[in-house]
Parts: sequence; C-alpha cells; structure tokens
Amino acid sequence: MPIVVLLDRLVLLLMLAVIAAILTMAMVLQLAFGEIPCPLCLLQRVAMLGCCFGLIQQLRAEKSQRGAGVGLVFALLLLVISARQTLLDIVPRPGHSYVGQAVFGMHMPVWSVVIAVALLLGFAIRFALFGAPRDAAMTEGSAMRRCAHALELYVVLLCAINFLAVVLQCGLGECHTFGYRLL
Amino acid sequence: MMAGIFGVLLLAFLLNVGGLGRLAVACLLVCLALSIGLFLWEIYSPEYGFRMPWLQA
Repeated sequence: MPIVVLLDRLVLLLMLAVIAAILTMAMVLQLAFGEIPCPLCLLQRVAMLGCCFGLIQQLRAEKSQRGAGVGLVFALLLLVISARQTLLDIVPRPGHSYVGQAVFGMHMPVWSVVIAVALLLGFAIRFALFGAPRDAAMTEGSAMRRCAHALELYVVLLCAINFLAVVLQCGLGECHTFGYRLL
Repeated sequence: MMAGIFGVLLLAFLLNVGGLGRLAVACLLVCLALSIGLFLWEIYSPEYGFRMPWLQA
C-alpha cells in the first residue's frame, strides 16, 4: 500500500478512535455519575455516531469519498446543534443553565463545538494533504484492517448501548433530564 | 421520537456491518432527517420562535 494511502487511513482511524473515546466518556458520565443527557445532548451523540459511520465507510472504501461526505454532513450537524445549545444557555437566567458538570472548565455543549470544529479541520487537513481518492483497499488480515474492524464493532456496540439508554430514559415520548421513564 | 432516531441509526450500523452499504446510507439519511426535525422542534419556542432575544448585540 502506498505511504500516502497508509497515512490517509491512519488519520481516519485516529479520528474514529477519538470520537469513540468521547462517546465512551459520555456513557461513563451517564451511567457511573448519573448525568442524564438532555435532548440536544442526545442529538449531539447522534451526530457523533453519524460521523463514525462516515469514517467507517471511508475506511472500507477504495475509490469513493462518500464516507467522508457523510462524516462532513454529520460534523456540520454537530456544530449547528452544539452552537445553538451553547447560545441557549450562555446567558444565565431562570430555568436555563448548562446541564452536567464542567470538564476542564467547559460544559459539554461547548466541548461539542470544539469537537465539531476539530472534526471539520481533520477532514479538511486530510483532503489538503492526501487529495483525491486512490485506488487501494486495505490488505486482508493487515493490522490496520483488524484495528478498523475492531473499532467498527466497538462503535456499533456503543450505538446499541446508547439506544437502550435512550429507550429507558425517554420511552417512546419526550426526553427529560430528571430521571429514567422506564425505571 | 429520540428512541426512533437511535433505532434507525443502530439499524444503519447493523446493515453496514452486514455489507448492505447503500441501504445503510439510506437509513442514515432517514436518521439525519428525523434528527433535524427533532432539533428544530426542540429549539422552537412558542414565545420567541427561533429567535434568541436574550442575546443583545
């Protein structure tokens, strides 16, 4: 595999690993520390999982850049949702404050803005450095392919856990942050 | 609604793992459309609409 293609796959793999780690952290905060996510926080998770989907498709792709396009669309969705939520709670007033505890002094919606910008920057740098699609698939049985497959399965597992948590929290109705509807 | 969005998203991932890429992307587009709809519904206020009058420029 040419070095440029190898580096391209490494960047994609790194981006996927970072989003998976962030989503894992969000689940840990929810399950271990009892921080129930708000509806906009859940939509931000959807956007991050959508980015993961795009990255997984791009890691599998040989010629197409469809996966990168899907990832970009969801990164943009993440930016819009998180920016709106940040602006919603930026002025302290009754009934409006950031949900959850601050991490390194910033709340989750603000972190989501940073994550979305980092994702967009990651895609932009990838396109700038590695350019057009190349005709080279990952070799069967290679370490990178195994790593990508393991990460893919882990992201699917994360999505399944999120789905179960959402069903418990919201049932089939609206989502609230004061408890799990089905528990 | 939120459970539906996550359900469709999970379906997209499972279809993708199963090698049905195009169907998976179609499911993801449905998920995207539902997410945008729910986002607009969540931020709409009967009092302010989509405006944010607490921000003074």
